Amino acid sequence: MVTNRLLISLIVSMLLVFSATSIAQETAVADAEAASREKFRSLDEDVQNLKKEVLDLNRDLFLLEEELLFPANSQVAFFVSLDVGEYFDLDSVNLKIDGKEVANYLYTEREAEALARGGVHRVHMANLKTGDHELIAIFTGAGPNIRDYRRGATLTFDKGIGAKYIELEITDRVKKQQPEFVIKEWE
Amino acid sequence: MLRCRSIPVALCFLLLALVPTAYSAKNDPEPIVVKDPHYGEVLFHFYKEDYFPAIVRLLAAQKQGLISEHGEQAELLLGGLYLSYGHHLEAAAIFERLLADNVDLEIRDRTWFFLAKIWLQRGYLDKSQEALSYLSEDLPDNLQREAQMLQSQIYINSGQYERAIGLLENWKGRTEWASYAKFNLGVAMVRSGNVAAAEQILGELGELNPSNQELASLRDKANLALGYALLQDGQPLAAKEPLQRVRLEGPFSNKALLGVGWADAESENYRRALVPWMELRGRDMLDSAVQESMLAIPYALGKLDSISQAADHYLNAIEAFYEEANRIDRTIGFIQSGDIFNQFLADDPLDSTGWFWQLEELPEGPEARYLYHLLATHEFQEGLKNYRDLHYLNHNLEQWQGSVDVFANMLETRKQAYDERLPRVEDALGRADIDAMVQRKFEFDAQLDEIEQGYDWLALANEREFEMWGEIAGFESTPALGANIPEADEVRDKVLLLKGVLQWQLEKDFRDRLWRARRDVRKTGEALVEAQRSRRQIDDTMLNEPLHFEEFSNRVYGLGPKIDGMQLRVAEAMGEQRSFLESIAVGELRAQKQRLDAYTVQARFALAAIYDTAAAEEGAGE
Repeated sequence: MVTNRLLISLIVSMLLVFSATSIAQETAVADAEAASREKFRSLDEDVQNLKKEVLDLNRDLFLLEEELLFPANSQVAFFVSLDVGEYFDLDSVNLKIDGKEVANYLYTEREAEALARGGVHRVHMANLKTGDHELIAIFTGAGPNIRDYRRGATLTFDKGIGAKYIELEITDRVKKQQPEFVIKEWE
Repeated sequence: MLRCRSIPVALCFLLLALVPTAYSAKNDPEPIVVKDPHYGEVLFHFYKEDYFPAIVRLLAAQKQGLISEHGEQAELLLGGLYLSYGHHLEAAAIFERLLADNVDLEIRDRTWFFLAKIWLQRGYLDKSQEALSYLSEDLPDNLQREAQMLQSQIYINSGQYERAIGLLENWKGRTEWASYAKFNLGVAMVRSGNVAAAEQILGELGELNPSNQELASLRDKANLALGYALLQDGQPLAAKEPLQRVRLEGPFSNKALLGVGWADAESENYRRALVPWMELRGRDMLDSAVQESMLAIPYALGKLDSISQAADHYLNAIEAFYEEANRIDRTIGFIQSGDIFNQFLADDPLDSTGWFWQLEELPEGPEARYLYHLLATHEFQEGLKNYRDLHYLNHNLEQWQGSVDVFANMLETRKQAYDERLPRVEDALGRADIDAMVQRKFEFDAQLDEIEQGYDWLALANEREFEMWGEIAGFESTPALGANIPEADEVRDKVLLLKGVLQWQLEKDFRDRLWRARRDVRKTGEALVEAQRSRRQIDDTMLNEPLHFEEFSNRVYGLGPKIDGMQLRVAEAMGEQRSFLESIAVGELRAQKQRLDAYTVQARFALAAIYDTAAAEEGAGE
């Protein structure tokens, strides 16, 4: 019954790594497992360190890009936010600055959901001279009763020295059961 | 201002997503205000599950001081993001620092619980143990049970079977976890050599009425484990019952069928043993149970004196093992060529980063069938995650390398444009003597003061009025008007009238004109102040721009080599990770091949024995 015993042992060791076959065999398996675990951990720690370094490098590159493309004294950032959003499902936002179209952003379902959960989307960055500028934003999507909805909002703002943040806010007007679109400077 | 959920609320969301719980309505987070748009932007990426960009933005905003309003919350969010991204060591460092008494106990517990889970999966047993030690006694029941299970797993994985048994023996409750606890207890008992006690535990579990697929699978596993443990303990009759309880279509059915056959064979009932073994014949050769049945069948046939049939089956088995071993060799070659990992990366869309990613399917190909079960192991899955993350980092660095080249070009172009414009600007500035203009403005002020003090209404006459005044004065001094004749008197009266009207007009408008003149001079003064400010700005720019260019140049040209260096390290780490994955996969395949080799040797011996016996019988017959 040698064959029989050997096969059973093999199966059992595969199933549960039981110790009954032989202590030496189990020790060898355990040693191999421990060595493999150790190797994995060492590699994993290297990967973790690399991730940290690449993330820090990305931060520096991100800042460099922003400072190079949008210097603080001319930078204007436009953010879209959604508060509650029960009366409006956002599809897209179109932006015109001083009569010129600068952005037309289509939102994916995932992005719209991220907005609904409280995220704020930087939809556009621009370099503008100091002085007055006019912003027109057109919001399209589905309004109450899932009807197509298209609304505009406008703001004239004064660009001074230093970065400026403009918020395009979609809120619910509960009394009228309608969405409301407001553009304002971030306070 | 926006209303939204922030950290620790967002962290709470994250942990809730990670740890399935019956999260009651009372725990619904309160909406609070996002005070910095950049913080909201990080949340946007976080909710989109784009963890890498979210972390980069958060780090950048922190460095710029743009999310000072959120302070510690932002730091906690960063910890949560690191955790989601699979950067568990960094996440833990943040949580260790911040998850102090000021954070809600439940959030703290969930965070440590989740870290314990990740670390156990990644084989960081010490860290997993440490994370469990941070859990409070107020942990919700469901997590409490899972935490105990983690603890038992740590004990088992680190060979502390007695401690595992101690913990699991006192398990309370009748939930699904109780079944898993029983299984782990049975395993720990078997591993500690206490088969009799394990028999009872696994036996109870093997008779469980499963309410779902997971429990059905656990039941099969317990029956199989018990059956083989009894077989090994020399109790074939007792082993049959649990083995026959294993479902025929489940993942453990092959091994169960094989075991049932061995139970009969051990009882010397070879005819019955052939029934389950023959059933295995048509199944997938990849399964070791199927391979073994190819030896078991001729073994039983031999015992039943069907020598010729047994020899045929041995020959078939040798042929099948040979072909299978060749396929394994080819697969090992394919894996060692690295193509499998290239294929795997080519199929991966790289659109998401994070710890939650899991490879569900291997790239199609003949090798995939050998590696499917590897996917079920934590080590291989976690290794693949690391490999994929490294590929993402490599891709990310490649993109930045391209961008940095563009930045360098942009900077050079700007610098060139600046150098070209500078002489023109300097020339224009040289011509515009603002100081002289200011001096003239002061002179105007003084002049206006004099006019006001001297009530010099004529000084404010316009050009036309001044001409008229001159003409009238000219008429007055005309000698003809001195003649003593009525016509001269009449003209003289008219001249006097005109002069009087004009003077009256000028005097009447004097204050108004003086105010307008002063207003114009004041405006000029304001414009001059603006011009002086602009001039200072230009001077500053001319002074600082070269410094800015230098600073940007240093950054741009400094970051390029950094990216290069990092790319090399990432490539190196990818190579090491790939070697590690290869070693797991190849090791697994070699083990399969060794098993086939062992079976082949056994088959050849058995065949040789048959031939010897036949030859001996033939010899005796002659």
